[in-house]
Amino acid sequence: MSFMKRTVLYCIRQRFKTVILFLALTLIATFMLTGIAVRDASKRVAADVQTAIGGKIELNLYAEGHMGNGQQNQWGTVYEYNDDFITQEIVDAIGKVDGVVDYNTEDAAAYYGAGVDFKYLPASFGLSYTPYGESSAYTATLSSEKCAKFQSGEYKLVDGRHITRDDKYTCLISKELADYNGLSVGNKIKMYSLDSDSISEFEIVGIFDGTEGTSGNALTVDEIPANCGFIDCAAMFDLFADELNGYQQLTIYVEDPVNVRNVYDKISALPELNAKTLKLSINTDEYDVISTPLTSLQKLVNTIIIIISVVSIVILTLLLTIRIRGRKKEIGILLSIGKSKANIILQIFAEVFVVALISFAASIPFSFSATKKAEAFLASRVAAGTAGFNVQIDAAYLLPLYMIGIMLIAVSVIASSWTIVRSTPKDILTKMS
Amino acid sequence: MSIIKTCNIKYSYDGNRVVLKNISTEFETGKIYAILGPSGCGKTTLLSLLGGLDSPSDGQVLFQGEDIEKKGLAWHRKNNVAFIFQSYNLIDYMTPAENVALASKLPPLPILERLGLTKEEAKRNVLKLSGGQQQRVAIARALASDASVILADEPTGNLDEDTAVEITNILKECAHQMNKCVIIATHSNDLAKQADTALRLKKGELFSEKK
Repeated sequence: MSFMKRTVLYCIRQRFKTVILFLALTLIATFMLTGIAVRDASKRVAADVQTAIGGKIELNLYAEGHMGNGQQNQWGTVYEYNDDFITQEIVDAIGKVDGVVDYNTEDAAAYYGAGVDFKYLPASFGLSYTPYGESSAYTATLSSEKCAKFQSGEYKLVDGRHITRDDKYTCLISKELADYNGLSVGNKIKMYSLDSDSISEFEIVGIFDGTEGTSGNALTVDEIPANCGFIDCAAMFDLFADELNGYQQLTIYVEDPVNVRNVYDKISALPELNAKTLKLSINTDEYDVISTPLTSLQKLVNTIIIIISVVSIVILTLLLTIRIRGRKKEIGILLSIGKSKANIILQIFAEVFVVALISFAASIPFSFSATKKAEAFLASRVAAGTAGFNVQIDAAYLLPLYMIGIMLIAVSVIASSWTIVRSTPKDILTKMS
Repeated sequence: MSIIKTCNIKYSYDGNRVVLKNISTEFETGKIYAILGPSGCGKTTLLSLLGGLDSPSDGQVLFQGEDIEKKGLAWHRKNNVAFIFQSYNLIDYMTPAENVALASKLPPLPILERLGLTKEEAKRNVLKLSGGQQQRVAIARALASDASVILADEPTGNLDEDTAVEITNILKECAHQMNKCVIIATHSNDLAKQADTALRLKKGELFSEKK
């Protein structure tokens, strides 16, 4: 009689023992499957976050020691940066580096313009230091979509489009300002700049909201967020060609934050940056804030899976040791009729394996309910703030489950069969009698 | 012609308590042997060494002139010898037919029927059989293995007088009609009288018993 036939006979005839083993294995498999599902969900969310956030590298002016000796004017000593700027040549070279997906500069209050043919929302003080009234601040940018207020969700584009690198003399204004002046996308507005002493015409390419209710008791018009907008950098370089030597800051976007170090090294090695007084640094703050709890969760789940594996081995080994102790007579008989020890251990392994095949499959519905509970808990605690934390059982998880399960069973069977391996058939038969 | 032979075998527990001393003897097919002696004299140990359940501390056991260790004790147990125990030693979750099938690929029913079990009894759980029937199943298993040597350790020890006679007759039949070598370890002088050769174990040595 083959060991497989003996296995089937044992599993069928010793129903009570088989059911106990089935329950134990189902419980172990449920924990294991839930652990694998949670680990996979956290990996998936981390990958989504990586894609959504991307990595950032910052290029800034290295001001320390490069601010000159200062110049006296009516306000006191004024220091001005007097070394390398981020030129268009540098920006173009960076844009061609492999792994760089985009770049942007965001120079807040770079341009002050007074409304020539429109009015700002009024502030407490109605100052008129230009022929066209008070000026408000505009942020100069290469890509308004990448600006902090749009990235954070504080501002949202409600009409038109964002400012892009190809634009010249375009602007974004707030919905409040647009409504106040009856302006819409496609209209052109004229602004007077005291710094350049010129009037420029800007096309409104987009309107954003998010400024509502933030005016408060502003003293000047530029303190009212609704009066502040965005303009493109090309207009700035055109208006202040004599004064502007380049960008003051550049944010470089990398597709994969894991790969940010490689991209950083490539940019550092650019000849255009060689010996320049510019500071390059990696900015993964945003990604780190979101990914740290997910990384901790993955580590926690991995630890839990290891603990479950060890506890499972202990439980299975104890269970099998008890079973084997109760089967010494049977083992002695099998040895006496010439069955080898390996054949007997194989039978014990097969008995557990056959039950495991069924119990691992039976654990799937239990795991469904366990994963839902785990999902609700983890989404509210550990992974709060990350959208789409979805723990689900996938058919693909059965493969690792069966692989880990077979390994656990093999270790447990070998550990619990140690008494068979160690004893001679006569020892077993003597103890049996 | 001898089928199984011991050459100066010694056996001791932990190297101190000597159970068997320089035993050299041989057993032939077609004969029934009885090994007599008080409890603890080493009868079961001698059977274990002949059956390859254990190895002697010194000396050799030869089967058809070849050391049984050469092909391995498990191979020897599987192919050359079969055991019959006092407590029957049947696997309790199997039927008689399945117990017999453990040792052989031959159909078990004809052997069981020859030993007096009905078809219904052959398909019952072994624990539902009487002691005599269980011992018949154990003998059937030994015969099914087609081994040349049958080693029986107190085969009638747990049986009533009438059943013991029946089992003894079956064992005699195995030796005389089926040409097996049957070696029985027993306390029973009655059983020893039925044997062709009676041997007595005394202080670790084996003596031929005059009939």
